[in-house]
Amino acid sequence: MAAQSSWYWGIHMRRHLTKLYNVSGAFAAILIFAICLLVSVQVIANLITKLFGTNLALTIPSYADFSGYFLAASSFMALAYTFKHGGHIRVLLVRDTLNANLKNIVDRFVLFIAAVTASYMTYYMALLTLEAYEFGDQSFGIIAIPLFIPQFFVFLGLLIFSISIFDNFFSSIKSEEKTSDEQELS
Amino acid sequence: MTEIFLTAGLLVTLFVLLGLGVWVGFALTLTGALGMLIFSNAPIGPIIATTLWGHSHSWALAALPLFILMGEILLRSRLSEHMFKGLAPWLGKVPGKLLHVNILGCAIFAAVSGSSAATAATIGKMSVPELRSRNYPMGLIIGTLAGSATLGLLIPPSIILIVYGVATEQSIARLFIAGVLPGLLLVSMFAIFIGIYGLVRPDLFPAEKQPYTFMEKLHGSKRLIPILLLIVGVIGSIYIGIASPTDAAAVGVILSLVLAWFNGALSKNMFFDALMGATKTSCMIAFILAGAGFLTVSMGFTGIPRNLAAWIDTLQLSQYALLAALTVFFIILGCFLDGISVVVLTTAIIMPMIEAAGIDPLWFGIYLVIVVEMSQITPPVGFNLFVIQGLVKENILQIAAAAFPFFLLLLVAVGVITIFPEIVTVLPSLMDAR
Repeated sequence: MAAQSSWYWGIHMRRHLTKLYNVSGAFAAILIFAICLLVSVQVIANLITKLFGTNLALTIPSYADFSGYFLAASSFMALAYTFKHGGHIRVLLVRDTLNANLKNIVDRFVLFIAAVTASYMTYYMALLTLEAYEFGDQSFGIIAIPLFIPQFFVFLGLLIFSISIFDNFFSSIKSEEKTSDEQELS
Repeated sequence: MTEIFLTAGLLVTLFVLLGLGVWVGFALTLTGALGMLIFSNAPIGPIIATTLWGHSHSWALAALPLFILMGEILLRSRLSEHMFKGLAPWLGKVPGKLLHVNILGCAIFAAVSGSSAATAATIGKMSVPELRSRNYPMGLIIGTLAGSATLGLLIPPSIILIVYGVATEQSIARLFIAGVLPGLLLVSMFAIFIGIYGLVRPDLFPAEKQPYTFMEKLHGSKRLIPILLLIVGVIGSIYIGIASPTDAAAVGVILSLVLAWFNGALSKNMFFDALMGATKTSCMIAFILAGAGFLTVSMGFTGIPRNLAAWIDTLQLSQYALLAALTVFFIILGCFLDGISVVVLTTAIIMPMIEAAGIDPLWFGIYLVIVVEMSQITPPVGFNLFVIQGLVKENILQIAAAAFPFFLLLLVAVGVITIFPEIVTVLPSLMDAR
């Protein structure tokens, strides 16, 4: 019975985790398209200003700030999704020459290092975000954006990234013969 | 003495981490953390958090996902078909014949895409089967494709120049414009090389059967006009200063969507694939940049780049000797590391040395990109080689051998821009003059 419920739990967990990575990846993609729309609208507004003179000067307030914050949130929210799709670059030249046993050991060691580093980054990003929240740090633009909001997404992205690496680490420990689905990408 | 020992230890750590297969962004961060631990009492965690944040939200960097997205949309929009049909009718009589389709096709696609692997894949998808069925020699098909696709890195928009610009706080607009003439120089060198080849060994080139009338040629090229307008619009608006690279990239995305729609290639799935692809690539680069940002800060604490600069200064090398040594170093490094990693390591560690030697960082950016281009076609890690291997299913070493003449041409180009740096600097300085 116990084994069965743990199997059941495992299946559920897998589904939830995959959903977590996909949703955060989709969120990151939407942010990139949002940057594109935001900047395009501003370019059109600039053209209108050029054509009809400055009495019609249109600006999206703080659009450069918004683009930057969208970008930061997107880059970090996509980390886990990119990781799961083998999108992060690594050098596999040496690893690929190893025999299967050694390869397994190296892979786990590397996953462990990465998971710990990502967790460390997550922790300190959380502290930075909390600090920005407590001190009420804001951007200097026309619209004063509280910095903790974009920073929160950087933290959240790092957190999901850490989870995804631990996920791979524990999966590789559980299944001896599981081969890595990562690949080298340009 | 201990300092040299520790510095060497740090470098060894970096290469061991990379060699084990630690993801580049983590390897850079860990090396940075170790450096700070050894050389200073600075608080590592808070500084990592500050640099992660500080290096990821700039307006200039927003050009990166947008240009990647533009390339992703265009490579899914039947452009390769149009490129072949539009270019081939004009080139049948030129010495070197249809091999010029590879060179010009890559140059054109490079001007809308910032990636050399994407350029090789897009152009090669159509040109390799077409040229092969016409019995062009395989070695030359592969060589021209591999060599010319590296132009994706140099001809603006260029992903790697955005990375260099953000990492060294150079103007991305100026870097883009600086890449135009060296890019054209390389295109002409490649075309002349194939032209001469065609004159010396005409027996290798199959005869082109149907002659085209002028109207037929124009008709075939009609479809290339939108893409040429897109190129002129993007690069032109940056050059005359009415748009920043980020502005131009955003409009470029919208226009490439319109173009894909006209070509009948736009669909929900296609757009979804392009957007997710761009999200992944841009995330991968942003993570490396964040890691490199921290490594740069850490290197500032260790003083290694300063000491390196001072040491090089004591050697009293001429700029030429220094550049020759660096070129060899980069070619070796490029055999094992991808281009972006080479660029961020350079900016983190040897930039102060370059500035101390009195080398213009704008010029150095272009130089670095051409050297990185060479690394795209050298084994064992040359991304263009892998892409082409996917297209032609030949041995990777044979592909590398076919690409070798183009490696040498790139090396010659490095020499040319070193002797005549104006090729790089003249357009940006005209931009400033206005």
